[in-house]
Amino acid sequence: MMPTASQLRLRTILFWAVPLLLLALPLSTNSYVQFIANSIVIFSLVALGFNFVIGNLGQLAFANTALFGLGAYGSAILVNTFGLPWILSIPLAGLAGAAGGFLASAAALRGIRLYYLAIITLAFGELMRWLYVHGKSVTGGTDGMGVPAQSIFGVSLTDDHAKFYVFLVVAVLLFKSTLNLLRSRIGRSVMAVRENEVATASLGIPTARIIVFAFMWSGFVVGCAGALFALHTSYVFPESFGMLHLIVSFAMVLVGGLGSVIGSVLGAAALTILPEYLRSFPGMEELFFGLIVIAVLLALPDGLASLLRKLSPIFVERYYRE
Amino acid sequence: MLMQLTISGISQGAIYALIALSLTVVYRSTTIVNFGHGDFVMAGAFLSYVLVVLLGVAFIPAAMLAVVAMFLLGLAFSRGLIRPIRGGPHIGFALMCISAGYVFRGIARIVWGREVLPMPRVFEIEPIFIGDLIITGDAVFIISITAIMLVVFFGVLALTDIGKMVQAVYQSARGAQLIGINVDRFNDFTWGIGAALGAIGGILIAPISLLHPDLGASFLIKGFAAMTLGGFGSLYGAVLGALILGLSEQYAGAYINSALIDITAYLVIVLVLFLRPHGLFGRKTVVKV
Repeated sequence: MMPTASQLRLRTILFWAVPLLLLALPLSTNSYVQFIANSIVIFSLVALGFNFVIGNLGQLAFANTALFGLGAYGSAILVNTFGLPWILSIPLAGLAGAAGGFLASAAALRGIRLYYLAIITLAFGELMRWLYVHGKSVTGGTDGMGVPAQSIFGVSLTDDHAKFYVFLVVAVLLFKSTLNLLRSRIGRSVMAVRENEVATASLGIPTARIIVFAFMWSGFVVGCAGALFALHTSYVFPESFGMLHLIVSFAMVLVGGLGSVIGSVLGAAALTILPEYLRSFPGMEELFFGLIVIAVLLALPDGLASLLRKLSPIFVERYYRE
Repeated sequence: MLMQLTISGISQGAIYALIALSLTVVYRSTTIVNFGHGDFVMAGAFLSYVLVVLLGVAFIPAAMLAVVAMFLLGLAFSRGLIRPIRGGPHIGFALMCISAGYVFRGIARIVWGREVLPMPRVFEIEPIFIGDLIITGDAVFIISITAIMLVVFFGVLALTDIGKMVQAVYQSARGAQLIGINVDRFNDFTWGIGAALGAIGGILIAPISLLHPDLGASFLIKGFAAMTLGGFGSLYGAVLGALILGLSEQYAGAYINSALIDITAYLVIVLVLFLRPHGLFGRKTVVKV
């Protein structure tokens, strides 16, 4: 069922109304709730970027964690070592993520796909983690590195309530640009590669370059999220970008819905709130996220977004005309 | 020095061979790459630990029990979690494997937490001295068990009907079905074999390295590196690739920098896929429409 013209208008209104209403959120939260809300904003960006590769492009990838780490470390190093204002480090962290995305996927230009590509991205992720630990002079090694307090336009960003506004603006920008990108010729090529790469190539679309581009965009979004994360926790260390983060991002994308932008938000929200109390038991988080993904694969393969779509055609995400 | 490194390289390579082979077996018959395989290996090692240390079973029966248990677990995994999503996108299989791996790892961590467990020595095999060369008992044990497993494995493949079935399913699942092979059940069986072989690798490594819940991740990478090197899907290639990997780790660690031991496998994967994507012994695949 396709949304009608009036439903499409309603959808546009909703897209802008949700962040506008969220502007009021810090008025009603204590700092713990606000901290979690900030985490949700950041992880919805992580899920958005990851989903772009595994959902929209349909390639298995493990580099997400590495790209997130690149953004976070990139931002922390720029702020700490080079004294750049944090706000300027966001796009640069995004570029670092995009460069990481390029490196992780460049093998696609050599005709490498699916499992091979996945294994390369896995190796890339592990190499990055090795670098964080062993590049002690730049990254602080296992001790990690702190991010000093920041302010923009004279407003201090030490408080979670204040950070939220910046995070929200960045998130809206990235969500809007990703949606626009998906609707563009490039975005549709990305999804065409998922459906059938050979057929896509036969239309004259350079599929290998499309794959690399998708990884780079994913890296940009996730890298920006990394910069937000660096300020959010005001500390970066290798463990934040380890194996646990990997299953968390897989679970967010799957629970939300593969290839669904709304799903990325839903997945991030659901899985940031739920496991908060598991954190103190070692192993529980891994068990929980593992079981969640298994359950979703068996029972709800298209994620929470598919339930929304059943509810109303407003939530149907389709980037082409019939 | 060189000979000494060669011996330890071969003994490391032997374990990688078992892991790469178990990944390849499953990949060949089901076209699924088990991204959770490292955790299957870990689970096998922990099972034998529980049997030997906590229940006091002797090593040999404990190892056999653990291998059988892992065989059944692999079978159940295929039957219960892989079959139901067969119609879905390929990404689903990989995610299923990864998640199962995390479940194993989570359980191991809940029970053992941050503990790093020493597995008691099995036998005290006297080291063999040849001139300056020392071959440790562990190396003798690992290399000989692996050699026996490989002979049995390739013997079964080459000489029995099971081997012909493996070949048939690999070439065409549909064709195999037409001549009366129950491909579903065959695939379950293959998963069982894969899990069991991986478990043997885990049980062999347990006494010389320490046991911890994150044991699997690095073995997964080593297995992949060996497979990639030998040509994805080639059984002999997996074994040869594993030996080359084991040796190059030791050489690079000794002659260049000891930190390289950790990342040789990653570098191998990246280099091979860039320079020779079909591996050293694999055939180039051509996309047919």
